[in-house]
Amino acid sequence: MIGAGVTPIAHAPVDWYAIAPEIALFAAAILIVVLRSVARHDPKVHQASMLIAIAGVAASALFTGVQWAFVHSNGPYQAMSGLVAVDGFGVFVKSVILGATLLALLLSGGYLRREHLESPEYFALMLCSATGMMLMASANDLITIFLSLEILSIALYVLAAFDRRRLSSQEAGLKYFLLGSFSSAVFLYGIALVYGATGTTRLSGIAQFLAKIVLLHDGVLFVGLALLLVGLGFKVAAAPFHMWTPDVYQGAPTPVTAFMAAATKAAAFAAVLRIFVGAFRLYDVDWRPAVFGLAVLSLLVGSIAAVVQTDVKRMLAYQSISHAGYVLIGVQAATDKGTSAALFYVCTYAVMATGAFAIVMLVARRGDDRHELTDYRGLASARPVLAGLLTLFLLAQAGVPLTGGFVAKLSVFSAAIDVGQYWLALVGMLAAVIGAFVYLRIVLAMYAPPDDEAAPEGPRIVVDAGTGVALTIAAGAIVFLGVVPGIVLDFAHAATQLLAR
Amino acid sequence: MIAENVVFGIIAAAMALGAIGVVRTKNVVHAALYLVVVLAGGAAQFILLGQEFVAWVQVLVYIGAVIVLFLFGIMLTRAPMHPKDSLDNDLRWPAAVTSLFLVGILVGLLVHTFHADKVDVQRPVRTADVTSSIFTTYIVPFEVVGVLLLGALIGAVVLARKD
Amino acid sequence: MSHLLALDPLLRGSVTWSVFVVVVIKVAVAFVILLVSVMLYIWAMRKVIADMQNRIGPNRAGPYGVLQTLADGIKLFFKEQSIPNSADRPVFRLAPYLSIMPAFLMFCVVPIGGTVSILGHQTFLQVVDLPMGALFILAMSGLGVYGVMLAGWSSGSKYPLLGSVRASAQLLSYEAAFGLAILGVLIQAGTLSTHEIVAQQSWTNAWSFVSHWFWLKTFVAFVIFLVAATAETNHPPFDLVEAEQELVGGFNTEYTGIRFAIFYLAEFMNVITMSAIAVTLFLGGPSGPGLGFLARDNVLNVWVMPVVWFVVKVLALLFATVWVRASLPRMRYDRLMSLGWKWLIEIAILWVLVTATVQVAIVEDWNRLVAASIAVGAAVAAYGVLYASMPKSGEQIEEFR
Repeated sequence: MIGAGVTPIAHAPVDWYAIAPEIALFAAAILIVVLRSVARHDPKVHQASMLIAIAGVAASALFTGVQWAFVHSNGPYQAMSGLVAVDGFGVFVKSVILGATLLALLLSGGYLRREHLESPEYFALMLCSATGMMLMASANDLITIFLSLEILSIALYVLAAFDRRRLSSQEAGLKYFLLGSFSSAVFLYGIALVYGATGTTRLSGIAQFLAKIVLLHDGVLFVGLALLLVGLGFKVAAAPFHMWTPDVYQGAPTPVTAFMAAATKAAAFAAVLRIFVGAFRLYDVDWRPAVFGLAVLSLLVGSIAAVVQTDVKRMLAYQSISHAGYVLIGVQAATDKGTSAALFYVCTYAVMATGAFAIVMLVARRGDDRHELTDYRGLASARPVLAGLLTLFLLAQAGVPLTGGFVAKLSVFSAAIDVGQYWLALVGMLAAVIGAFVYLRIVLAMYAPPDDEAAPEGPRIVVDAGTGVALTIAAGAIVFLGVVPGIVLDFAHAATQLLAR
Repeated sequence: MIAENVVFGIIAAAMALGAIGVVRTKNVVHAALYLVVVLAGGAAQFILLGQEFVAWVQVLVYIGAVIVLFLFGIMLTRAPMHPKDSLDNDLRWPAAVTSLFLVGILVGLLVHTFHADKVDVQRPVRTADVTSSIFTTYIVPFEVVGVLLLGALIGAVVLARKD
Repeated sequence: MSHLLALDPLLRGSVTWSVFVVVVIKVAVAFVILLVSVMLYIWAMRKVIADMQNRIGPNRAGPYGVLQTLADGIKLFFKEQSIPNSADRPVFRLAPYLSIMPAFLMFCVVPIGGTVSILGHQTFLQVVDLPMGALFILAMSGLGVYGVMLAGWSSGSKYPLLGSVRASAQLLSYEAAFGLAILGVLIQAGTLSTHEIVAQQSWTNAWSFVSHWFWLKTFVAFVIFLVAATAETNHPPFDLVEAEQELVGGFNTEYTGIRFAIFYLAEFMNVITMSAIAVTLFLGGPSGPGLGFLARDNVLNVWVMPVVWFVVKVLALLFATVWVRASLPRMRYDRLMSLGWKWLIEIAILWVLVTATVQVAIVEDWNRLVAASIAVGAAVAAYGVLYASMPKSGEQIEEFR
């Protein structure tokens, strides 16, 4: 008899529906890889794989929408023995990630062709990374969060180094890899200590444990929490864990930079919110000062360091640090209002960062190396539409009214003021003023007359169809978020209400 | 019980010495071998706890695969025979102070928190228990590792190929 | 940690001095048996190959030259040991022991007989029956690469280094197929303990060797295991490690005297251990017909016959390895790698999936034939896709030029 003595293995019922968005993305990635290896001589594979990637994102968005409809009517729940949360919070962050992925994919097609980097693996890696981010947005378990963090990071390490002919791209990949693995190790140690203190890795389990039991010796828990904060602080590029950000953002291929800035921040902040505001809400007296410190440092370091830069891509990289600071203001409030403000900010930042980096990518032209402020001189007279769009995105980042940036900043500040954090709001406004100076420098350079003696006579700026679509979407979205923010604000608010605890 | 404590002490001492060796030596291959001592000590501690599965997996994965790949990588690239001074730098004392500080905090905390607690370890752990917890309690991490590995694999191919 | 060993009836209850003595005896006997059998195997191998090549072979030391290996050992023992100037001394000294240890340790979990009683204690005729013996085998076979790798590196000279890099690449490549082949058995057996695996292949009637032994039920895994084990032991036709014309003598070129002898010993000890494991996993271990005219509990049936069956099976496999050694030429290195990576690993994975499907079909009470044919069909289709995506020989992939 075959296998007479075998005890059947217990298996949990799989809630396919809860993980369908992730599966759709990953399936598209696998399809690309298989297509790539079977039809390896066909030059059309590159085009096809971009279409497959976009289709995967669309399918994933469809499933996410279905999840939203379900959660909206039936309330949030936890699936797969509590490892995955299906809730409004997850749906909101997933929508942001999917949007950012779509924009990055649209930007990538033209970029890869321009730089002669066509290779389907690029799209597979981007989809893998997005799968990790999606999973991170819905993870309800520290181990799952760690694994999704690793998935998104490993794919990004490679994407950052994708343009291997450029030394700065190699440097970006290596730097990101070394520091990223270190921060992952720190995060893992934090998980171990939190597990040691609470006896579970489920976020909801931790919350229940802390609600039931008052720990006599909570030192281990605090050190674990601190390590978790360090690990995630690295991923969201908050000061003082921001050292890698300028170099990596500057060196990575620009569409990857956009993807990193928009989507990674959204996913990592989802984990921050779930862990700190969700699981450790009862201990907010203890972690809020730490987040306060991170927020202040990020705001000041990001905006002040950006002032002295002359490289536009690097300026935007430093600014992304200070944008992390704004989101941390929302996190620090540790209220529902703060959470929904943080979500709205993440969403807005995804749009405006992608838009700004898209223009940077276009201006850089072939070789991806024209990032100096002088390269932007006279852009307004040469390409008025591009200059206008970049002005729009930069003004949005500065927080000018009628753009999404204004509403986003306003909502995090008001969340901080609601809990009495006037100082934090004040620092945030100060940083916004400094940031506005940085953005105005770029805008002024664009509208200045072109330099006659040092006219950078490069190839013409070519806008391909994908980039055009992406820019249109981003510009529309940023105006939409600024003029009628109510819809998305309501979405963020409802998402926070529907957080599975 | 006493015997177990004595054995634990011996293994722990060996692990500590191995760990110091890893950071002290100037020869990469020696560092990898010291690391083997540390990892093998970890496996031995797991045996002492009655967690045979984890112990053998530790040997199989870390000693049998990870360190072997380290060594393989070293040999494929340069295979330095002699100690290299560039593996050392002047930050020895700051590093020692920092790590002692960290050790102090962690040891203090752990002793303070768990000083007389006894963990009720389920012994022995059967393979069936391990599998059923992988396939029920931790099913998502288990499946997600597949995504991780595929991503890493594609990444390795992308980085390794020539232009 | 006593509960770990509680699978063996010997160690249930309190450990008295006689138990201790039994354990020591078992370890010592196993070690001596392994050493003596290596000695005899080397002699037999030389004799058989000599016969196949129409030569006489060793015929001076002892009757039929049976003591030849012993004489060689004594000679090597008293030879001067040299260490090259550029060698890394501690590692150079350590490497031989690292290569012999896993071979011996792996043998510890192999059951060579049934349950017997020594000094009034019931015990299994194997050094230890670990609850996760199969995992232990995998772990130990993973350690085998250390000796080779470090010996080559620490010699401080280029041919040994090349030999050791080549050898470790080979060992790493075949490790995966080796483990997956073992997995094929484990899924059907449902246990990791070698004693249990053997117990499931017990001899109940004359057809047990097809119906109970695992070699037929896991035929694909059996074949893959044999190939992978041959490669793991660096045995011809996979002995590229010591390809003399390319590498002088391989990873052990700089070794002399007893250290060289230990490498030599380890190599053949590995062959014997691998054969013993193959017998345990696939060929029923010590199971076989007893002497029907004697009582079941007669000392011959309890002590002798299982051991005899075990030895006969191991000898058959060992003869097969010698036969292969004498007849097949060495493989080319790229062929070796493509066999491992493009065929064995894929087929082993697919076979594991097929086995698992059939296993689920049994548990869920589906129609086994239908489930098995669907699984095999899917596996063939999957291999078809894999094969289509593999670069054919001579085909250049643009990026890897």
